[in-house]
Amino acid sequence: MSASYTHLSCQLLLLLMVCRHVNTKNTTVITEPPVETSGPNTPPVAPLTPLQTGQKSVVLTGENHTEKVEVVNPVTLNLECAWTGNNKRLPNITGYWTKDGKTIETSYSNIQLQNGRYYLRREFSIMNEEDLGTYSCIFDPKAKVDFILAAPYLGEVRDKPIVSYVGDSVVMICKMDEKKPKPLSWNWYKQNGTNKVKIEVDSPGHRYKITKDEKKAKLVVHNLTESDSGLYYCGAVYGIGTSVGYLQLRVITYFEPLKPFIGILVEVLVLVAVILIYEKTGSKKDDQSGAEGNPDQNTNQLHGENAAADGRSSTRQRKV
Amino acid sequence: MPPPATTNLGYTPPDGGWGWAVVLASFISIGFSYAFPKSLTVYFKEIQEYFGVSYSEIAWVSSVMLATMYAAGPISSVLVNRYGSRPVVMVGGLILGVGMILASLGTSIIHLYLCVGIIGGFGLAFNLQPALTIIGTYFQAKRPLANGLAMTGSPVVLFTLAPLNQFLFDSFGWRGSFLILGAIVLNCCVAGSLMRPVNKMAVPKPKAEPAEVNGAEDAAAEALRTEDNPKSQSCVHRFIDFSLFKHRGFLIYLVGNVVMFFGFFAPVVFLAPYAKHQGIDEYSAAFLLSIFALADMFIRPATGFIGNTKWIRPKIQYFFAFAVSYNGVCHLLCPLLPGYAGLVVYAVFFGFAFGMLSALLFETLMDLVGAKRFSTAVGLCTIIECGPVLLGPPMSGALVDIFGDYKYMYYTCGVFMLVPGLFFFIMHYYNYRKVEEEKHRAAVEMRTAEDRVHLNIDQKDKSEDVMEK
Repeated sequence: MSASYTHLSCQLLLLLMVCRHVNTKNTTVITEPPVETSGPNTPPVAPLTPLQTGQKSVVLTGENHTEKVEVVNPVTLNLECAWTGNNKRLPNITGYWTKDGKTIETSYSNIQLQNGRYYLRREFSIMNEEDLGTYSCIFDPKAKVDFILAAPYLGEVRDKPIVSYVGDSVVMICKMDEKKPKPLSWNWYKQNGTNKVKIEVDSPGHRYKITKDEKKAKLVVHNLTESDSGLYYCGAVYGIGTSVGYLQLRVITYFEPLKPFIGILVEVLVLVAVILIYEKTGSKKDDQSGAEGNPDQNTNQLHGENAAADGRSSTRQRKV
Repeated sequence: MPPPATTNLGYTPPDGGWGWAVVLASFISIGFSYAFPKSLTVYFKEIQEYFGVSYSEIAWVSSVMLATMYAAGPISSVLVNRYGSRPVVMVGGLILGVGMILASLGTSIIHLYLCVGIIGGFGLAFNLQPALTIIGTYFQAKRPLANGLAMTGSPVVLFTLAPLNQFLFDSFGWRGSFLILGAIVLNCCVAGSLMRPVNKMAVPKPKAEPAEVNGAEDAAAEALRTEDNPKSQSCVHRFIDFSLFKHRGFLIYLVGNVVMFFGFFAPVVFLAPYAKHQGIDEYSAAFLLSIFALADMFIRPATGFIGNTKWIRPKIQYFFAFAVSYNGVCHLLCPLLPGYAGLVVYAVFFGFAFGMLSALLFETLMDLVGAKRFSTAVGLCTIIECGPVLLGPPMSGALVDIFGDYKYMYYTCGVFMLVPGLFFFIMHYYNYRKVEEEKHRAAVEMRTAEDRVHLNIDQKDKSEDVMEK
């Protein structure tokens, strides 16, 4: 029962996608309903699942709009652009589609003004990774809507290099957001020259360890050497293709942080020495001047005491 | 006329001169003590991934460090009483540095608990207590100002360490950063070298110090307890001075502070999460913390200055009570302030409140117990306050989890601060009256004793004159 509800809600969701703002970035995901192995009404898992169809409509009120579309599995996608037109409101204009900037020759068509809008529709068959890209519907001369078709993006990949040390190990993690669909599997690649080399766990030396769970993939490299520096790619594999994120690793020796460490250590020692020496010489000066000054002080005090004593004795005498 | 109670220390503090260098040294030590555990959170994410532990396990590193810093207070006090501030701070800086260097070689999370948490915590404890104590030996008339300036170290060092830690992490990873931090904290040794023991033989400057400006409390109390001094001095030198628990002012301070610390740190910890919960983006939420830190930074020296004025200084306990209550009122009003603008206003006012309280926190203790017993008093206070400081944020977090809303946590924190504030007002009103009575009694006793002495001298003179005749 739950499977049919999700199926229904999925279709409703797709049909209700209409955007009105200019330059808002909305991401929608087109998925087939999840095939669950529990429950009484699940269909048998066929080797070739029937191709799903999806629909994406955008109403363009300005001149430009970008729509991000996440594609998980092969799908037949109906893209529709509805343009409200400009001041001229010609009854007939031409429109066409492009893929990644290249015009699709067969897509030129004349468009009538219908209900105050110009409609351009086309069906695209998204089968594999090459079919992903940017599809644009263009109304002559200038209005355009870009549909960016891609596999779900990876979340939170560190853009700055990860720093680690020779002989140490490093952990690199790629994560897919909670809300996004789960990838079928994960792969790790290392950049070697200009090609990506897939990392296998049983490579010589047993230095790599790959841990995968549904939303997260972890690559652990032990016994790092400087040649391990470079670009690493993690790929989340979906039916339609792989979504790739990259991480940069920098392996340095312990000498690098040692240089500022010694610098600061020297600074601390110098300051402590200066302060203590200043204090010693300062106190020596005090002692010298104190030895001269103290007799003065002592005599002053003696004078004071004598004066007091004299005062008293004088008063006594005066009394007498 | 009874002699003006300028000092009960046995000498006149310089109130300037090298004292300002000591304030700078305390600024550095106090800054590291409070800001260092908080600033390490930058590394937690990577360390958590490296060791494969959960976030709460890594957050324990900070908690262990803070707990050890507070719990090692009495040990620090005993050492300061015995050896003075300078050696203890220098040793503290060394311990902290060694702890961080060992931590950079760590192979497990337990290793980090030991090196950063326990060893680091000891190092920080050996920095905090002596830094606070030495200000009391160098300043009397300008002490609130000196305390306010020294406590400003905490927000300033935090402000500096946060981006510095981020830079170190991006350049060297966590291991290299810990190594370099180990060198940076050795600057506490530099601070320690500045903490020259005060020259007790110095000739006092011929300045007329009005008696009311100085700690009225401790003067009268010391006058009454002159006979106990030799005995308690030997105790102080060897053990913790438990007679402090009979000191009325100290008890008021302790009871109020223990309750207050439950609600003291939690609002700071939850400021950014509360903002994010309201839908504010991460950068604006972090900006709130910066506003808070800036307000805190500027109000601390200002509070010290205000506390030093002749109107506030004699009744500085009321000023402290006001600061605590003001904190409470801020938290109670926070949930009522709408939107981001409301939160900015709250951050500014809370920054002022937090800074005011921090600047006066130790000044009031010095005012109550006097500079001689301050070291022991602050050691006892920190170990007892250890509990509320550590339990406060997790308890508030539990409140947030149970109710799913932050406002109950703010109301609770507000109550936890307002009640001690009012408690301080009432109890210190009673305490000031008692102190006045004791001072009056002491003055009367001294006058009668002096009169008796003069009478004896005159009688002796008269009899001598008679004999001479």
